[in-house]
Amino acid sequence: MLRQDHYKTSVYKTPFHERTSELNILNEWSRWKDYTVPTNYFRTDLEYFSVRNTTGVIDYTPMVKQKITGPDAAEFVNRFFTRDMNKIAVGRVGYVVWCDEAGQVIDDGTVFHIRENEYWLLCVERQIDNLENSAIGFDVKIEEITDDIACLGIQGPTSCSILKAIGFEGVEHLKPFDIKHYDFQGHEIIISRTGFSGDLGYEACMANDAALSFWDALFEKGKIYGIQPFGLDALDLVRIEAGLLVPGHDFMVAEDAIRPGSTRSPFELGLSWLVDLSKPVFNGREALIEEKKRGSRYTFVKLNINGNKPAEGAYLYNQSGKKIGNVTSAMFSPSAKANIAYASLHDPWKKGKDKIIAEIYYQKDLEWNKVMEEATIVTKPFFDPERRKVTPAELY
Amino acid sequence: MTRKNRNIAIIGGGHNSLVSAAYLAKAGFNVELYESRSEVGGMASTKELVDGYKVPGVAHLLHQTDTKIHKSLNLNKHGLAFAASGLKTISINPNGNALIFDDDTVTGDDITMKEQEEYKEFRQTMKKLSGFFKKSYQTAPPRLGSNESKDMTRLMSLGWNLRSMGKDAMRQMLKYIAVNIHDVLNEFIDHEHMKGSIALDALLGNRLGPRTNNSVITFLHQLTGDLNGVQGSYAIPEGGMSSYTQALQKAAESAGVKIHTNSPVKQIDLNEENKITGLILESGEKVNADIVVSGIDPRSTFMCLVGPKNLESHYVHKISNIRMRGNTSKLHLALSGLPKFKGVEQEDLGHRIINAPSMKYLELAHDHTKYGECSDQLPMEIIIPSIHDKTLAPKGHHVLSAVVNNTAYELKDGWDQSNPVVLESCLNQLEEMAPGIKGLIVHAELLSPKDIEEEYGITGGQWHHGELTFDQFLMLRPIPGKAQYNSPIESLYLCGAGSHPGGGLMGLAGRNAANEIISKES
Repeated sequence: MLRQDHYKTSVYKTPFHERTSELNILNEWSRWKDYTVPTNYFRTDLEYFSVRNTTGVIDYTPMVKQKITGPDAAEFVNRFFTRDMNKIAVGRVGYVVWCDEAGQVIDDGTVFHIRENEYWLLCVERQIDNLENSAIGFDVKIEEITDDIACLGIQGPTSCSILKAIGFEGVEHLKPFDIKHYDFQGHEIIISRTGFSGDLGYEACMANDAALSFWDALFEKGKIYGIQPFGLDALDLVRIEAGLLVPGHDFMVAEDAIRPGSTRSPFELGLSWLVDLSKPVFNGREALIEEKKRGSRYTFVKLNINGNKPAEGAYLYNQSGKKIGNVTSAMFSPSAKANIAYASLHDPWKKGKDKIIAEIYYQKDLEWNKVMEEATIVTKPFFDPERRKVTPAELY
Repeated sequence: MTRKNRNIAIIGGGHNSLVSAAYLAKAGFNVELYESRSEVGGMASTKELVDGYKVPGVAHLLHQTDTKIHKSLNLNKHGLAFAASGLKTISINPNGNALIFDDDTVTGDDITMKEQEEYKEFRQTMKKLSGFFKKSYQTAPPRLGSNESKDMTRLMSLGWNLRSMGKDAMRQMLKYIAVNIHDVLNEFIDHEHMKGSIALDALLGNRLGPRTNNSVITFLHQLTGDLNGVQGSYAIPEGGMSSYTQALQKAAESAGVKIHTNSPVKQIDLNEENKITGLILESGEKVNADIVVSGIDPRSTFMCLVGPKNLESHYVHKISNIRMRGNTSKLHLALSGLPKFKGVEQEDLGHRIINAPSMKYLELAHDHTKYGECSDQLPMEIIIPSIHDKTLAPKGHHVLSAVVNNTAYELKDGWDQSNPVVLESCLNQLEEMAPGIKGLIVHAELLSPKDIEEEYGITGGQWHHGELTFDQFLMLRPIPGKAQYNSPIESLYLCGAGSHPGGGLMGLAGRNAANEIISKES
């Protein structure tokens, strides 16, 4: 059930708020949907490095969570999402996108195949309306459970050791995208080997009542493993390195777009691998087949840009000074030791022929400077440590 | 693959299906048609009311038809003849002063010469405007945003049809198209009884009041048809309404169509790739087909026979939002003698009698509809077909068939409870119009929109397979983006009144669909 007392408060506190507010010494907060969560706790770069070197913990309770149950749940998700959902067995998680009738991406998220006939969709934008509209003719029940479930991301090389130390037996045997149900002090906790960091990491979903005791156990056992909380700013850095897109940042949520041409299809976001056109039917299929025939308007690329100035929001030009695209996300990556970015390219850019030159503005003592830096397309992930994939996971 | 070895299965045996079947068979396809009832014809058929008395099933007048189709299918040769044609319309009122409409002339009810002129001017204007519709009804509507030359040509011809009407008519079209018949009639005519009588034509079969916008479109729509070249003319076929569809059946059969009656279709059979493989009948029999053409309404086709799971959700959403609210019932009476209607000469009883004494009367009836009620002052279109066709009733006896408007599908009290109440109310109203008629009744029945839905399998009992409104018209019919008789399922087509140009007995949806299929599947 969604909370109904929104009129009493401008934002909700998550079930972890008592702890996160103690640790948030900068007192910097961001609104995320109906909730408030820390932007930074103490220093963005140190929070970032805790994820990369030890373990960082993020409260992502505000993530919109929808539960789909019923005898037709499997058929339903297979028609709703673009990829073949039959491949996501019980106890597995899949990254998904879904489209409107024009084949434009509405949002992305992860689907947890929790049990037989039960899926959870975790995503940025509320989808209850789309899911309900899509449910005509299916024997399914759709519920939004955002306010009922507390979620933590536990990300970093020592994350598995901490969970094991708490007593989650066999957690190291979870393969990437596996789910396991645990009992924690009488509460069910769902632990999955997933996350935004591109590194070894887990996510834990639990009933709100279990939140504080789980947090306490985590930080008590995690102390010797270098556990630290991290906020949204550090999250943005790790997710760029990990190669993950954010709706409303790297692409327009199709339903929020005002201008024609500002939305993107999965093909135009480099997500062809998430589209299975051999499925007989799914939302957006007809339009995507048409796009295959006609060709796409945009190409989504990862860039390695010369210099060290982050190219956030930069215009991209070719060698003859024609605008060929925009940067959607950018950072100087400490782990890749490179100036990295995501970009959406369009005509007249020609693959393999045209140069990509970023127009980057940066500030020095209040004064804006500009550099034009050449960029090259990167096809491999920016950050992809072996430990991300190894099972059993590394223990310390 | 040649057309010869391609099999087409057609679902439903209404007039549009029969027309489509005939054209497709003539083009060389193997066509088989599956009808759930024991005879074809759908709503244009004759049925037994009670022992010895037969009545037209739903449609009781041949009105909005297409002469071109009649000629090219040679319907006269296949037995279509008229027991009566060029019927006059006699509009009664409680004072017993009937108005008599005969094509462009009107007499009776103290009508002045000026008012006669007003009527003529109105009628001629409307006929001219409906000419635009008539032309655009002859082909599939264009696909908007398409670069294909066929669509460009159709879009241009739509524009050209409008432009070529001339400046004045084009202005009138733009002025009247989106408004209501009430305002337009007030602009042309003063005579209240006359206005009510004309307005009824915009409302019959629809869920509108005279002041509802869209009612000009429905008025122009019913004027598009012609009979023997006379626009807006009424006729009764010899041998009852069935003989019209029987002529179509013979035309289809002589072209090589195989017709299966008592063969209700359970589902359109798709393989794992959602490609058509044929039909599955209620009997369990599997029918193989390369192409399936559905003459039943779009909602039933997709929601029942294809199934929402096999369609993208936006399509399901749009199909389930087609407005299909039936509003019209059929009243059938077996009578032991000929009734006497107030103000109607006995020799005129064979004509079309209507009860629509004023626009206010119609609007008030619609007010009840809006709130799920049924007025006790209902508009009606009444005919006594047994005057023209002696086979319908025992000697000296008669049958009366009336279209009763403003009897909403969604009645607050439900039809099970309301049917006897509405029937009794109709009989009382008839007694007012024709004193003594109740004493002649041998048998009476009221087919509510719910009964029509059940008997003929039309969602909502909506005659037009989808209300004929501006947003469900031309390239928006049945839904925007899929108005060329096609569907998201390859080789599944629609040929019923739910597609452009909609209802009536034109058969144009059937013929246009056949032309589309011939060009796409050859």
